[in-house]
Amino acid sequence: MSAITVASLSLLLMLVLIWAGMHVAVVLGIVSFVGVWLIRGDVSVAANLLATASQDAIASHIFGVVPLFVLTGFLVAIADVGKDAFEVANQLLRRLRGGLGIATVASNAVFAAITGISIASAAVFTRVAVPEMLRFGYNPRFAVGVVAGSSVLGMLIPPSLLMILYGFLANQSVGDLFTAGIVPGLVLALAYAVGIVLMATLWPRSVYVNGEGARAVDAELLPVGTLVMKLLPSVVLIVAVLGGLYAGFFTATEAGAVGAAIALVIVLARRKLNLRSLWSVLTETGHVTVSVSFLIICATIYTRMLAMSGMPQFMVEHMTQMGLGPTGFLIIYVALVIALGMIIDSSSILLIVLPLMLPIAEQFGMNLIWFGVVTVVAVEIGLLTPPFGLSVYVIKSTLQDSRISLGDIFRGTLPFTLMMFAVLLLLIFVPQISLVLLKAPGG
Amino acid sequence: MEGNPLPDAPEPAAPQDSYRRPMPGGFQRLTQALNALGTLWIVALMVLINTDVLGRDLLGTPVRGVTELVSLSIVGIVFLQLADTLATGRMTRADVLLDRLKRTTPWAADVLQAVFHLAGAGLMAVILWAAWEPLVESIRIQEYVGAVGDFTAPVWPVRLIMLVGISATLITFVLLAWMDVARARSRGRPA
Amino acid sequence: QQTIRLTAAAGHPPVFLWVKLIDEYFIPEVDKPLAAGGKHKIEWTKAWGGTLIKIGSESKGISDGVADLGFVSTIFEAPKFPMQNVSYYAPFGTSDIGTVAGVVNDMQTSIPAMGQAWTKNGLVSLAGTALDSYHIWTNFPIKSVDDLKGKKITAPGPAANWIKDTGAVAVAGNLNTYYEDIKSGVSNGVITFATGAWGAKVHEVAPYITKVNFGSQFAGALAMNKSRFDKLPPEVQKVFREVSAEYGKRFAAAQAEAADGLLRKMADAGAKVSELTPAERTRWATTLPPIAKTWAADLQGKGMPGDQVLNGYMNGLKKAGAQPARDWAVK
Ligand code: NA
Ligand code: NA
Repeated sequence: MSAITVASLSLLLMLVLIWAGMHVAVVLGIVSFVGVWLIRGDVSVAANLLATASQDAIASHIFGVVPLFVLTGFLVAIADVGKDAFEVANQLLRRLRGGLGIATVASNAVFAAITGISIASAAVFTRVAVPEMLRFGYNPRFAVGVVAGSSVLGMLIPPSLLMILYGFLANQSVGDLFTAGIVPGLVLALAYAVGIVLMATLWPRSVYVNGEGARAVDAELLPVGTLVMKLLPSVVLIVAVLGGLYAGFFTATEAGAVGAAIALVIVLARRKLNLRSLWSVLTETGHVTVSVSFLIICATIYTRMLAMSGMPQFMVEHMTQMGLGPTGFLIIYVALVIALGMIIDSSSILLIVLPLMLPIAEQFGMNLIWFGVVTVVAVEIGLLTPPFGLSVYVIKSTLQDSRISLGDIFRGTLPFTLMMFAVLLLLIFVPQISLVLLKAPGG
Repeated sequence: MEGNPLPDAPEPAAPQDSYRRPMPGGFQRLTQALNALGTLWIVALMVLINTDVLGRDLLGTPVRGVTELVSLSIVGIVFLQLADTLATGRMTRADVLLDRLKRTTPWAADVLQAVFHLAGAGLMAVILWAAWEPLVESIRIQEYVGAVGDFTAPVWPVRLIMLVGISATLITFVLLAWMDVARARSRGRPA
Repeated sequence: QQTIRLTAAAGHPPVFLWVKLIDEYFIPEVDKPLAAGGKHKIEWTKAWGGTLIKIGSESKGISDGVADLGFVSTIFEAPKFPMQNVSYYAPFGTSDIGTVAGVVNDMQTSIPAMGQAWTKNGLVSLAGTALDSYHIWTNFPIKSVDDLKGKKITAPGPAANWIKDTGAVAVAGNLNTYYEDIKSGVSNGVITFATGAWGAKVHEVAPYITKVNFGSQFAGALAMNKSRFDKLPPEVQKVFREVSAEYGKRFAAAQAEAADGLLRKMADAGAKVSELTPAERTRWATTLPPIAKTWAADLQGKGMPGDQVLNGYMNGLKKAGAQPARDWAVK
C-alpha cells in the first residue's frame, strides 16, 4: 500500500471514529500509530514517534498560555463580570429597538475580551440575558439565538483557545493572532447589532412575542457611579492583558498569568470565592488544559505521520497541477470546514484539516495570520449549526427549560449564523480587516 | 477543548457512562491526588511568571530559567492531570452517536464505550512501552535544560511524571471499560 | 533498479542555509550519480521546519528511524553531544568558519570519546559544520559591555554563558523563536550569526547590530541513522560520503560569502550596524567567568575528557593561526 493510500484511508477512518464517539485524541493517536507502522513497516518506529511527541509536542513556554487564560476565564465568570457588563449595556441601550439583544451582543464582546472559550460565554449569558429578554417580551427563540450567535465572539475576540490551537498548528505567533482577531470580532458584533435592529424594525415578531417590546421603567435605572464600578473590572482586565500584549510588555503566556492574577484579585475583592470553590475552579482549569494539551500532543503525532507519508507534499503538487487559484482553494477549504463543523467539534476540525491545508495555503503565499482568522470564524460557524452545535447544546443544558427545544434554539440561531457567514465572506475578501492592527515589523 | 462551565449540572437518574464515579479499588483517589498536584503546579506557574514579569518590568531583575521551567512544567502538569481528566469525562469526544444509542439501545452504548476505552488503554500502553527507554537514558546522561555553567534543570523528573501519568491513565481506561461492561451486563441483553 | 525510500528532515525550515543546502544541493547531487549508475534510485520524502522532528529532538528522531537523515543541531542537544559544544564554551576564538569546523572535525577523529557520541546515539555523522561568527542583535544600542545591564538576551544553548557577569540575563531560544521572543518582550535581543539572523528576520525587531565577533561556532552535523546507513549498498554509501564532504565545504563557503553581504542588506533595511571596539571586546571576554574551565570540569566529573577537548580546541585554533581574545584553557 502506498503511503498516500495509507494517509487517505486514515483520514476516512478518523472521521468515522470521531463521529462514533471515540475520544478525539485517542483517535488521532491510534490512527497515526497504525499509519506510521504501515508506512515504515516497523512498529517500534511508530511507538517511538508517539513517545517522543508526548515529550516534546507541548514542551514550550508558549504553551503556558493555555492554563492561564482558561483560569482567567473561569475566575471572571465567577466574579459576575459578564453579568455586570450586561447590566451596564442594558441600561445604555434600553431605548434602541432590540436593545436587550444588542446589549447581549455588546456585553458578550466585552466578556469575550477576557475569556477564551465560547461556551463559557454561552453559559454565562444564557443565565444572565435570556431571563431578562423573556421578562421584557422578547421572543424566546430570538433570546436564545442572540446568546448563541454572540457566544462565538468568545473565541474570535482575543484571548481565544481556538487561536492558540491554530497558532500551534500553524507555527504562528499567538500574540499576532490575538491582535488580528480584534477588528473582525468587533465587525461581527457590529453586524449582529445592525442585524438585530433590522429584524426588530422589519420583522418585529421575530424579535418580540407581540411584535412590541415592553418599555423599561426608568425607576430601575442604576446611578452612573454604580455603572462605572460594574464596568471597572472588565476595563482593568482588558487594558492590562490586551494592552500589555499589544504594547509588547509581555507575551501571550505572560498576559495569561497577569490576567489570572488580576482576575483572582477581583474575585477575592468581591468575596465571590471561598477555598472550596477556588479549588474547584483550579481543578476545572486543569481539566480543560489537559484536554486541549493532550489533543495537541496527538495532533502533533498525526502531523508527523502525515509528514512521513508525503501526503501534504502530494496535495500541494496536485492543487498546483489542477490550476486551482488561491480563491478556488479558499472556497473549497471554507466549505470543507463548515461541512465538518456540522458533525464534529471545533478543535477536531483544526487538528484534522490544518496539517493538510496549511502547506497549500503557504504555497499560495497566503498570510497565515489572516488565514487563521478566516479559519477560526469558519470553524466557529460549526458551533451554531445542527446537528452538532456545541454552543446551542450548552445553552440548552444551561437553560433547563423544557418549553424551548433544541430545534427552537437552532432556528433562533439561524439569522445569526447567516450574518456570521456574511462576515466570513467579508473577511476573506478584505484581508485588511484582520491585518490592520498588526504592527509593521520593526515599528 | 471545552470545559463544562456547569460543574453542578444535574445527573440523569440511571448512570449512562462510567465518568465521575468511584472506580474499582477506589482508584479515583489516586487520580485525584495526581490531579491536585498538577493544580498546585498551575498556581506555581502563575506565580513564577508574574514574578518574572514584575521583576523585569518594574525592578529590572528578570528571573533566569523561566522559559525552561515553564516548558518543563507544562508537560508535567498535563500528564499529572490526564487520568483525572479522563475519569471525569472531560476528554473531548463527540456525543452524537453515543447520545442516540444511550436513548435507544443503552447496552450498545455501554459496549461501544468499553471498546473505546480499551482503545485508549492500548494507546497508553504503546506510549508507555516506548517512553521507558528515554527515561532511563535521561537519567543515565543526566539530561538537562539550560546550559552548563549558567542555569540547568534536570529533565528526568518530568520524564518520570510522564510515565506515572500515562500509567495512571492506562489503568483508568481499563477500569472505565470494566465499568462499562458491568453496566451493560446489569441491564441484561434485550431479546 | 532498486528503489530506496529515505526521509530527510530538519528542525529548522529551509530559509536557513544548512537545510536549504540539503534540499537543493545534497539530495540532487546524491541522485545524479545514482541515476547515471542506473542501479539505485532514492525516493525522498522531505520534512523540514520541525514537521517531523523538532529542534532538540533531531538526533532521537533520526536514531529512532522516524527520519533517516537530517541535520542534528548539537548545540541544542548538549546533554547528548557535550564535547561537540566545545566552541560555545570558548567564544572569542576566530571568525574563520573553516578553521573551527576543521579543528572540531579533527578532534572527532583524534579523540575517540568525542567521535563515539554519534555512534552511541545511533547515528553516522556525514558532515560536521560550523556557523559564521556570532554577533549581537538588540533593540537598544550597545557601545560597551555595561549597556547590557538588566537586559534579557536570548541565547542559543550554551551561548547563555556569553553574557554571564555582564548584568544581563539569558533566555533560552533558537532561530525559530528569536523574532517572536524579541517582538513580544521575552527578551531585548539575541546572540546569533548573520546568515541565521537574516533567515529569521531578527533585524526587524532588533535593529541594533553590534559586531562583537564571538567567533565561528561548531553547531551540528548532517547525520544519518546508523543502521540505515550501514544497510545502504557500498556504492551508495560512497556517494553519500562524497556528496556530504562537498556539502560541508559548500556550506562553509556559502556562509563566508554571504555573511557580510547580509549584514549590509540588514543595514539597507534600516538596521544600525556597528562594530564593538577591540578594547571593549577584550573587556567583554575577560568579564566572563572561566566558563570553559567550569564546563571541562563538569565533563571530567561525568567521566569525559573535557580537559583534553578544551586544550585540543584552543591549540587547534592557535595552530591554525587564530588569535583568541582569551585563552580558555588557562582560565
Ligand atoms: Na475571547
Ligand atoms: Na455544528
